[in-house]
Amino acid sequence: MEFDGTFTIEDVSTEEVWLALSDPVLIKQCLPGCQFMTRVEDPDAVDFEALRESEPDDDPATLPEADLEDISDRAFEEGAHYAALLQLSVGSVKPSFRTVVTIDERDFPVMNASGEGSASDSSFEMASGMTLVETDEGVDIEWHAEADVFGTIAQMGQRVISPVANRVVNRFFSNVEDRLTEVADDNDGGGLRDRIQDLL
Amino acid sequence: MSVESVDPDEVDAADILGSAIERREDPALLTGDAEYTDDIQLPQMAHMAIKRSQHAHAAIDDIDTAAAEEMDEVVAVFTAEDIDVPGNLPVGWLLDTLEQVDHPILAQDRVRYQGDAIAVVVAEERYAAHDAVDAINVDYERLEAVTSPRAALNGAADLHDDAPGNTAFEWEIGDETKTDQAFADASHTASVDLENQLLIPNAMEPRGAVADYNPSTEELEVAMTTQNPHLHRLLMSGVIDHPEHKLQIRAPDVGGGFGSKIHHYADEALAAWAAKQLERPVKWIATRSETYLTDAQGRGHETHGEIAMDDEGDIVGLKIETDANLGAYLSTFAPAVPTYLYGTLLSGQYDIPAIHCEVTGAFTNVPPVDAYRGAGRPEASYVVERLIDLAAREVEMDPAEFRRQNFVPDDAFPYETQVAVVYDSGDYEKTLDRALEMLEYEDFRERQAEARENGRYLGLGFSAYIEACGLAPSELAGQLGAQAGLWESSLVRFHPSGTVTAFCGTSGHGQGHDTTYAQIVANELGIDYDDVDVVEGDTDEIPHGMGTYGSRSAAVGGSSLVTSARKVVEKAKSIAAHQLEADEDDIEFEAGEFRVAGAPDRSMHIQEIAQQAYLAHDMPGEMEPGLEATSFYDPDNFVFPFGMHAAVVEVDPDTGELEFERYVAVDDVGNQINPKIVEGQIHGGVAQGIGQARYEGAEYDDNGQLLTGSMQDYAVPKAEHIPEMETDSTVTPSPHNPLGVKGVGEAGTIAAPQAVVNAVVDALEPFGVDHIDMPLKDEKIWRAVHENGGEE
Repeated sequence: MEFDGTFTIEDVSTEEVWLALSDPVLIKQCLPGCQFMTRVEDPDAVDFEALRESEPDDDPATLPEADLEDISDRAFEEGAHYAALLQLSVGSVKPSFRTVVTIDERDFPVMNASGEGSASDSSFEMASGMTLVETDEGVDIEWHAEADVFGTIAQMGQRVISPVANRVVNRFFSNVEDRLTEVADDNDGGGLRDRIQDLL
Repeated sequence: MSVESVDPDEVDAADILGSAIERREDPALLTGDAEYTDDIQLPQMAHMAIKRSQHAHAAIDDIDTAAAEEMDEVVAVFTAEDIDVPGNLPVGWLLDTLEQVDHPILAQDRVRYQGDAIAVVVAEERYAAHDAVDAINVDYERLEAVTSPRAALNGAADLHDDAPGNTAFEWEIGDETKTDQAFADASHTASVDLENQLLIPNAMEPRGAVADYNPSTEELEVAMTTQNPHLHRLLMSGVIDHPEHKLQIRAPDVGGGFGSKIHHYADEALAAWAAKQLERPVKWIATRSETYLTDAQGRGHETHGEIAMDDEGDIVGLKIETDANLGAYLSTFAPAVPTYLYGTLLSGQYDIPAIHCEVTGAFTNVPPVDAYRGAGRPEASYVVERLIDLAAREVEMDPAEFRRQNFVPDDAFPYETQVAVVYDSGDYEKTLDRALEMLEYEDFRERQAEARENGRYLGLGFSAYIEACGLAPSELAGQLGAQAGLWESSLVRFHPSGTVTAFCGTSGHGQGHDTTYAQIVANELGIDYDDVDVVEGDTDEIPHGMGTYGSRSAAVGGSSLVTSARKVVEKAKSIAAHQLEADEDDIEFEAGEFRVAGAPDRSMHIQEIAQQAYLAHDMPGEMEPGLEATSFYDPDNFVFPFGMHAAVVEVDPDTGELEFERYVAVDDVGNQINPKIVEGQIHGGVAQGIGQARYEGAEYDDNGQLLTGSMQDYAVPKAEHIPEMETDSTVTPSPHNPLGVKGVGEAGTIAAPQAVVNAVVDALEPFGVDHIDMPLKDEKIWRAVHENGGEE
């Protein structure tokens, strides 16, 4: 199955969007149903139970409050692997996908990632990517994803899956947009935008 | 032309055979009194659910059942390692070149289709069993999957080590040299490449089983959704290593099968085995999603066909090459369906002097493919009738007249085809003429021409189908590879009070056998219809039987009942002669009464003789008491029903939308035991055939994932999708059985698809469209118009 789209965020810079989308903590918070997102060394030997238990109760600060150096330190790295537990609501079922994502490419303003997720009776394999394009109004996030879906979820058919995928993607970017609006608001009083520019 | 049903009480006993009486099984089915497998509740009964592969093709690295085992209400979890019996599903039809591959009831290290069984959970409660199945963790290593037979045979990864290149068999029929020569000498040829798509059976009742084991007697009783209880008993006794005489298979009311309940699947065997392991009753009922993943599918052909004509428009040759999808494993009768049930029907209704057909069976990552209503014969009829239309176009003849010119003439029967069968009887022009009359054919062609001038596109499609029912005799079936006989058993038993129970080895599952068999037996014995009860579907009650499939029940089971009833009459006649003190040769039997010839007041009724037979106070000579008889009837030949169906459609080339104007069906199924039931079979069959033509088709993605996994995405036609059917029939009795019947269960399914496709192609002739693969969804029709530029 292939999905793609463009999500426009007004009154932001590509650098701000880039920094937001580079932060695993912000991604976790913005991605509906994502219970944690943690960097792992060996993608084939992830103990999801242990990760869930060791997940701190409170997330570190994200934009706009976060220290930019902290975000920079924990930002996605090309070649690194991240484990996530994603609970999705698909029709009448709510599978929890144990997911491992690898950042295949991270070169401003392009990021590509691939991953696999498995639940008890369903699984998926996905390759996705995005390119940030600066426009007069703000930033266009041009995204695409190609997914293979297996098991019960696949049996429900594209008619069920496509709306779910669109809902998840749109809610994710809307959440990101909300965060960046806070950044923009914050800029009215301080120099966050300049600092981000400097950081990159 | 619709048949009016009548109350049996209003029918004279002498007319009971052939009357459209109401089905006696319907009140129970309609009120909920019927007992389906899932209605069965036993004390201490546990529930089984099955962990199925989510991948179409994968190696299994690990199966972790620990979490499932710890769950509340879970009784046991089993994987392949626990199976202590052969556990390998056998194939019941062999071919010379067939590669028999293992088909384990639980996959151990490899799964080959989405839905392949991996583990079973038995729990106190059904939902607990399903929840525990979700807690089983399987580590898969996904492998490349293939779902098209042609792709499987051309370089895809092997499914089975024992079947290199995914070739299950290579089979041919007919004379290749003669056919090549016919094509070399021909004046005209036409060809088509077509796909006959995979279909999902959709019986109303999903498969299921309730198994109950008595450890003291070692008796194992399995109530299950079956079309052939004795066959299931024989196969299951081997699969789970349980003595056949201590295994009872019982078919409660069964809600349809269409072939899908012939085969022996892993699930029912697992339920029976689990009941033995746990020494308590176990119930397994498939969810609808499971039936979509695991019921043996039908059709699945990719075919190239060619037809050759001389300059007179006579057919001189037919060449067919088919790659047949067998799915991941060999289902029970899978090898027979695309071979002997397909290649032998390729002469259709036509006198074709040279035919050659090659079929390659392919393993692919879809569920096993086996018999589905029609089984091989719809595939044959479809390619033949598509080629006939293309041939008529090639020689510029009217499709009706082209058919008429090439029909086997009515004085040529019995007619031996070039593909190894002998048609029993037929009169193909009669059904054609009746159909043309109903269609007002000449008027239609004028209307069609006028409509085209006004930018409206009408089309008429013919389907001159032939079907072979009641595959027989057993000796022939054996020579062709059947691992079973194809006779049928029956037992007709008078009770002392004069009523009768008739047992038959067939196993109806919606066809109305309780009614039609009672009609047959009442007619033979000359007793009241209400005095006859029919029993089927229980291996403990009925002599070994073969079951219901292939439209065989009337021709083979019905004839067996006739044979038994006639034996009963013979014995009763001896008793009558003895008690009436007359010579047996002087006894005449009519309407249940034995009379002494020339002395009509000296008579005894057969029901009175039944009483005498059980009193046994005055029996002739050495004759044993009692009045019953058993038969194992083995027919001389198949029977060959035929008919002409025609669809009239209007197609909108701008949108691809299709509307039925008419659907006309003229069938000849030989003598009719009950015309209302015949009509119902035609209606249901045509609906299913139109389903294939327009809507249905199992579709898979590149990974072998079923995309049409529910009725939301797989369109079983609803009433609004089916045109009003105008049915009529002619009667050409079969000379091969005492009833002169032929079989009707599959006729509509065989006939309808090509009637619809031929009609659409006829409508779109101005756009240069010569073929569209089924299902003919609006989009596909639109694309066919526009691929050719969309211009006339």
